[in-house]
Amino acid sequence: MKDIIFDHVLKAYGKNVVVKGLNLNICEGERLVLLGPSGCGKSTTLRMIAGLENITDGQLYMDGRIVNDIPSGKRNVSMVFQNYALFPHMTVEDNISYGLKVQKVDPREIEERSKAAISMLDLNGLEKRKPKELSGGQRQRVALARALVKRSDYFLLDEPLSNLDAQLRVHSRKELVKIHEMYHQTFVYVTHDQVEAMTVGHRIALMYDGILQTIDTPSNVYNRPANVYAARFIGAPSTNILEANLNEGKLIMAGQHIVPPEVWIQKMKENGGDMFYFGIRPEHTKITTDYMDNALKGIVRYTEDYGNKVGVYFDINGKELISVCDNNVPATGEKVYFTPDYSKIHLFDYKTENSIGYPEDLSKHNYGVVYELRGRLAGDRS
Amino acid sequence: MKTELNSMKWHILIIIIVCILIIPVVFAVSNSFKTLADAFSNMFNIIPANPTLENYIHVFEKLPFLQITINTFFIAAIVTGFKIITSLLAAYAFVYFHFRGKNLLYFVLISTMFIPFTVIMIPNYLTISCMGFRDNLWGVILPQLSDALGIFLLRQSMRTIPRSLIEAAYLENVSDFKIIKDIIIPLVKPALISTGIIFFINSWNEYVWPVLVLKSKENYTLSLALQMFISAEGGTEFTIAMAVSVMTMLIPLVLYIIFQKHIINTFTMSGIKG
Repeated sequence: MKDIIFDHVLKAYGKNVVVKGLNLNICEGERLVLLGPSGCGKSTTLRMIAGLENITDGQLYMDGRIVNDIPSGKRNVSMVFQNYALFPHMTVEDNISYGLKVQKVDPREIEERSKAAISMLDLNGLEKRKPKELSGGQRQRVALARALVKRSDYFLLDEPLSNLDAQLRVHSRKELVKIHEMYHQTFVYVTHDQVEAMTVGHRIALMYDGILQTIDTPSNVYNRPANVYAARFIGAPSTNILEANLNEGKLIMAGQHIVPPEVWIQKMKENGGDMFYFGIRPEHTKITTDYMDNALKGIVRYTEDYGNKVGVYFDINGKELISVCDNNVPATGEKVYFTPDYSKIHLFDYKTENSIGYPEDLSKHNYGVVYELRGRLAGDRS
Repeated sequence: MKTELNSMKWHILIIIIVCILIIPVVFAVSNSFKTLADAFSNMFNIIPANPTLENYIHVFEKLPFLQITINTFFIAAIVTGFKIITSLLAAYAFVYFHFRGKNLLYFVLISTMFIPFTVIMIPNYLTISCMGFRDNLWGVILPQLSDALGIFLLRQSMRTIPRSLIEAAYLENVSDFKIIKDIIIPLVKPALISTGIIFFINSWNEYVWPVLVLKSKENYTLSLALQMFISAEGGTEFTIAMAVSVMTMLIPLVLYIIFQKHIINTFTMSGIKG
């Protein structure tokens, strides 16, 4: 099994602990993306797999054996570095075949593998060029080719697309997925770009401050964030998070209240406590200038145009929220009514900041339910 | 117009500096082809009135000159070779290895650059004597097999190489020696050559240490041979001394001409980009 298992792995530089007791299973042949902001420990984690960083504590298993003390060269890993790490004095051809030559692979085999990689990555005609004579995209492909010819079981990529322009990045990430589909190595990809993470990974491991925050499929990381951090990090614009107090079936937030569907109230009661974090993505909200029942009222402070949509930043008693809408954009200074899609809200425990989970069937509880609720609210008031 | 004037000012300054530096060389070359009488009467004439090879012939007749040149070259080559090897290995360790006390060790090493030669001259002489290397070329060579300056220069040069290149090689299971051979040396070549030239010329021109160690004429180096003609021993034969001077500077000059591109590169190089 060409899997990778982190068992309570800790990495410290002196007193500075950068990876704090990591437990992570990376399955054979999967594409796992290590995602997180700068300094979260994701690159260090990747470098520990590569053997380029010592492990301070814990065990790292690869292919069923502990590899803590096994040097990089014996781990059967290929790596694409952020700056590509091409040898500037060697030609493209030499860069690609250098590792194989050192390993004393049969020259015919070297030629065969190099040619295959060169043609697959569209590097034909560039074989005799030196890295400085190549564009960023071409260098990145040479780095990929160099990693590919090794035909190793583990393929590690450290922000390989970060030096490319936006268009090339989209193209290259498709290529990467295609390459993986051909060879099915265990693929670990480090990025701080959530779009890259969502499109490349079978699973995303989100890290922050040396701690694994969540590991799940891209869809679940987006739709079912495990904690407040995951909810905030994934998605642009970021998820709205408000402190919420459950009081007699109402959620009091920023001095106002809404009445969530009964299933959510039940869920909150099951979790216990009356303080929560309420999360809703901007794209799962509605705002209107017309009066709405069971809505939070705010004042528009700022709008930003994304081309296809408009982000509306508004203020509710000093708390800034954002909603994304495509028509009827309110003007700055206007009073707006804000309603979440209750099938897409997230509630987190106030102390642990972990998700309290989701009611079983949420499909009915979208905006429509809110409108149905109005009747109930009206009844309550009467 | 203003820029032209500005650039002309710099050109004039550079020409003056070059003249100041080159006049002694021209003086030496010119006088080495003059007879002693001619030299005294027309010392500052660049073109000798009656050019002669007499001084050169005299040097070859009076001294085992070829042997002396070979001695000097042997010492300079061995010293340069060893210093380059030790500097390269030490610099690599200082840049790429993590070990306890690395910074302290580097500090101590660099501080040796500031110890005057006169301080270590006597202990070195006693050591060499005890080892039986007095009046022996190896006696000159042995205390000079490593050099903090070389470690410093090569370390600075290696630090410009992205660490990821070395890591990429580690991932291919390349040994440190092979990394040095295949990656480091090609990338620090200009620094290596210029450091080598500095070592070679320093050793070639060395006077104080060889004069202490070497006694017999057949073991002499060129500096010692030169001294014979400008000291009480040789006295006033200064045209011969000029001929020896010209021959002394010939080999370093040829080396400089061959490697000048690399030497200039080292001082203008800002870094290596991947």
